[in-house]
Amino acid sequence: MEMILLGFQTLSDPMVAMMLLVGVIAGMVVGSIPGINDNIAFAVFIPFSFSMPADQALALMVGVYCAAATGGAVPAIVIKVPGTASALLTAEDGNALARKNKAGLALSIAITSSVVGGLLSSVVLLLFAPSLAKVALEFGYVENFALAILGLSSVVGLLRGNILKGCISAVIGLLVATIGFSPMTGSPRFTFGNVNLIEGIPFVPLLVGLFGIAAMLGLKADILKDRDANVATPSLPKIGSLKLPRGLVRRLAPVWGISAAIGNVIGMLPGAGMLMAIFLAYDQAARRFRNKFAGKPGENDWGGGAPEGVAAPEAANNAVTASSMVPLLSLGIPGNSTSALFIGALALHGMVPGPLLFTQHGDVAWMIIVAFLVANIFLWPVAWLVLRTVSRSIFAIRKEAMVGVIAMLCLMGAYSDGANLFNMWVALVAGLVAYVMRLASIPLGPAILGLVLGPQLEASLNNSLNISQGNWLVFVDPVNHPISFGMMIFSALLWIVPIIVGLRDRAATKKDTR
Amino acid sequence: MKHLTLATALSALVMAGSAWAQSYPEKNIDLVVPFDPGGSVDVTSRIIAETANTILEGGEINVVNRSGGGGVVGQTSVATAKADGYTVLAMTSSVVTNPQMKGASYEVTDFRPVALYNLDPEVIAVPADSPYETAEEFLAAAKDERLNIVVAGIATSHHMSGLAIERATGLEFTYVPTKGFGAQVQAIAGGHADAALWPMGEASDQVGPDGVRILAIASEERHEDFPDVPTFQEAGIDIPIWATFRGWAVPKGTPDEAVEVLSDLMKSVYETPEYVEKMQAAGYVPVYRDADGFEFVVNNYADQTSAIIEETDLGQ
Repeated sequence: MEMILLGFQTLSDPMVAMMLLVGVIAGMVVGSIPGINDNIAFAVFIPFSFSMPADQALALMVGVYCAAATGGAVPAIVIKVPGTASALLTAEDGNALARKNKAGLALSIAITSSVVGGLLSSVVLLLFAPSLAKVALEFGYVENFALAILGLSSVVGLLRGNILKGCISAVIGLLVATIGFSPMTGSPRFTFGNVNLIEGIPFVPLLVGLFGIAAMLGLKADILKDRDANVATPSLPKIGSLKLPRGLVRRLAPVWGISAAIGNVIGMLPGAGMLMAIFLAYDQAARRFRNKFAGKPGENDWGGGAPEGVAAPEAANNAVTASSMVPLLSLGIPGNSTSALFIGALALHGMVPGPLLFTQHGDVAWMIIVAFLVANIFLWPVAWLVLRTVSRSIFAIRKEAMVGVIAMLCLMGAYSDGANLFNMWVALVAGLVAYVMRLASIPLGPAILGLVLGPQLEASLNNSLNISQGNWLVFVDPVNHPISFGMMIFSALLWIVPIIVGLRDRAATKKDTR
Repeated sequence: MKHLTLATALSALVMAGSAWAQSYPEKNIDLVVPFDPGGSVDVTSRIIAETANTILEGGEINVVNRSGGGGVVGQTSVATAKADGYTVLAMTSSVVTNPQMKGASYEVTDFRPVALYNLDPEVIAVPADSPYETAEEFLAAAKDERLNIVVAGIATSHHMSGLAIERATGLEFTYVPTKGFGAQVQAIAGGHADAALWPMGEASDQVGPDGVRILAIASEERHEDFPDVPTFQEAGIDIPIWATFRGWAVPKGTPDEAVEVLSDLMKSVYETPEYVEKMQAAGYVPVYRDADGFEFVVNNYADQTSAIIEETDLGQ
C-alpha cells in the first residue's frame, strides 16, 4: 500500500502528470492517423526521451501506449483501416455501424469500452501486480505452446460461413511466419538470399500494408466502380452524435467485464500478446450475441454492426495494455513490439526490468502502474476532444484525396521503422496480398493471428520436445503440466462444441420439417 | 580490472594526430547502430554519444538506427560506406560470425576496429533454487544426464560458448534456444530449464534469492562484484576467456588520422566520470581498448568461433 502511495506521489509531480497528459493526447492522435502507429511513435520518441528524467519519459510513454490502442479504433470505424493492430477486429462491426450512419455511436462505444477495460485492468494491476508475477513465472515452454494453440483455436469463433477459407488464411499466416531464421538450426530459411528477411518479414511494415495499403486499394476500387457506373461516390460517414444510450451501457456491461477479464489474464501471461486477447474476447462476445440478440428485430448481424463486436475487442485491448506490464516489469518480457520499447526506455534510464525492479526502483515501477490508471481517466475527455477536432478535420478530406494521403502516410510509416527502403516494398506487397485475399473473401484475421503466433508456436514446440526428449505427451500431462493440460482441453472444446451444436441443430431442424 | 591498465598503456602508444587530423571532423559523424532503438547497443551508443558530443569539436556524433536482418543490414551499409571517417559502426561480436552464419556479404576484414568500450564475459547461471551450488556440482551432474541449457539462439555467441564448453570438458548439453533475455530469465527463474549461458552484464542484474545464481564466469579474473564466482579455468573448464564485445569500427581504408581521433575520443569519454556512472547504472561495465587492443579482441574471438563453426558444421 505504501508503495502504491509512492507511485501516486511520483505521478503528482506536475511535470510528470503533464507528460502523461501529453502522451495521452499524442497517442490518441497517432493512433487515429492510419499508417502511423504507436510503434513508430515510440521509435521516434525514444531518442528524445534520453534527455528527460526517467519518471517523465516513462509517464509520456504510458500515455502514448494506452491512448494509441484507443485511437486505433477511430480510422477502423470511419474508413475500416485499423490505426493500430489492436483495432483489427473493431473494424468489422464498427465500420458496418458507420456505414449505417452510426459512426458516432460506434466511436462512443469504442471509447467507453476502452476506458472501462483499461480502468478495470489498472485496478487489478494495482492490487495484484507482484503476486501476478509469480503466476507468470509458471509459464514454461510447454505452457507457452498450449497457449499458442489456445490462441489459434479462438479463430474458430471468428469463422462465419466458409470455415475452409478461414483455415486457409490461418495457414497462410503460419507459413509466412516461417520466413527468417529457424529457431532449431539458427540458419536463415526462405529468405531468397535477402538479408532484410533474416529476422523474418519486418512486422510493422507488414501490418501497415495489410491494413492501410489494402484498405486504400479497396477504397480506390470503390471510387472507380462508382465512376464507371456514373454514381456520385458516397462521402465518408459523418461522425455525428457521440451519445451512448443508457440501455446500451447496461447491455454492454457484462461484455466489458468478460473482455476486460480476458484481457487481464492474457496480458499478464508472458508472450501471449494483445492480438490473442482481442480474438478471445471477440469470440466470447460473438457467442453471447448469438445466444441473446441475433435474429431479433432491430438487431444487426454479427459483423454487420453488432455493438458487442466493437465493445469486446476495445475493452480487451486496453485491458491488455495495463496487464501486460506485469510480465514486462517483473520479468522483462514484452507482450508485443511496442511494449518491448519500454524495456529500452527503462534501460536508457538505468533500470532493468526483472524480479528486482520493484524493490530497487519501486517509485518508478509503481508510478508506471498508477500512470495506467490515470491515463485511462485522462483518456475519456481527450478522446472526445481529438474526435471533435483532429479526426473531424482528417475525415473531412475528400475520399479521392484520402486514398493518396493515407497511402503516403502508410509508406512513410513503413519506412520510418528502421529507416529501410525495403520496408516500403513489404508494405506494398502485403497490401496487394491482403487486397487479393479480400477479393477472394478470405478473412484476414486468422492470417494475422497465425503470423503473430507462428514463431511462438514453433519455438515452444521445439523447446518443449527438446526438454521432454521427444515425448509429445508432455502437453497433456495433468501432473507436471496441469496448466498446459487445462488449456489443451479448453482448445479442444473450442473446436468440438460448435460441431456438436451444429449437428444437434441440424437434427432438430430435420425433426421440425418432418 | 588489470586489462584496464593494459589498455591505458596501449593507448599511450597512440601518437598525436597529424595536420589532417586537426581538420577532422569538419562535419557530423554518423554512428550507425544496426539495431532498433532501445536495445543494448543503442542504449550504450547514446550514452557514449552524449558524452562524446561535449568533447568533440568540429562536428557532432549522430546515432543512426539502421535495423533489419539481425544487424546485417546496418553492418553491410557501413562496410560499403565511404571510408572517410564520417561513418562509424557500433560493432558487436555478431559482425565476426554473420558472414558464416547469416550469409552476410561483408568480411570481418572489411571493418577497421577503432576502440572497444564494453566486454561482456559469458557466465553459467542456474535458478536460485537449483540443486547445483557450485560449478563442480553442475559439471558432475552434466556428466550423469544431459542438462537443458538456455541460450539466446542456435549459432549465437552464447550457443557457441556452450559448444566450447562441450569441447573443453567432453560433456554434452541439450540446448533450449529462447529469444529475448526476459524470456530466458523466466525460463531459469521459473525453473523450466537447468542452466543458462548469459553475458555477465545482463545476468548480474538477475542475481538474488528469487532470481538466479551464477556458477562460473569465462574471464581471466574474477568479477569484482562477485568475488565468490570462480572463473571457467578455476572451475575446471579450460576456456580462458569467452566474451562478447561492443566497440566502434570504421570501413576498411579509413585514414589512420581519423581512426586516431575517434579512438582518442572514446578514451576521453571513458575518462569522464558521468559516463562511467551512466554506463554502470544501465548495467554495462565500461572499458577502453584502443584500435590495436580492440583488433586483438576481435581476432581472438574470430579464432575461437571459426574453430567451433568448422567442427560443428554450424555455418552455411
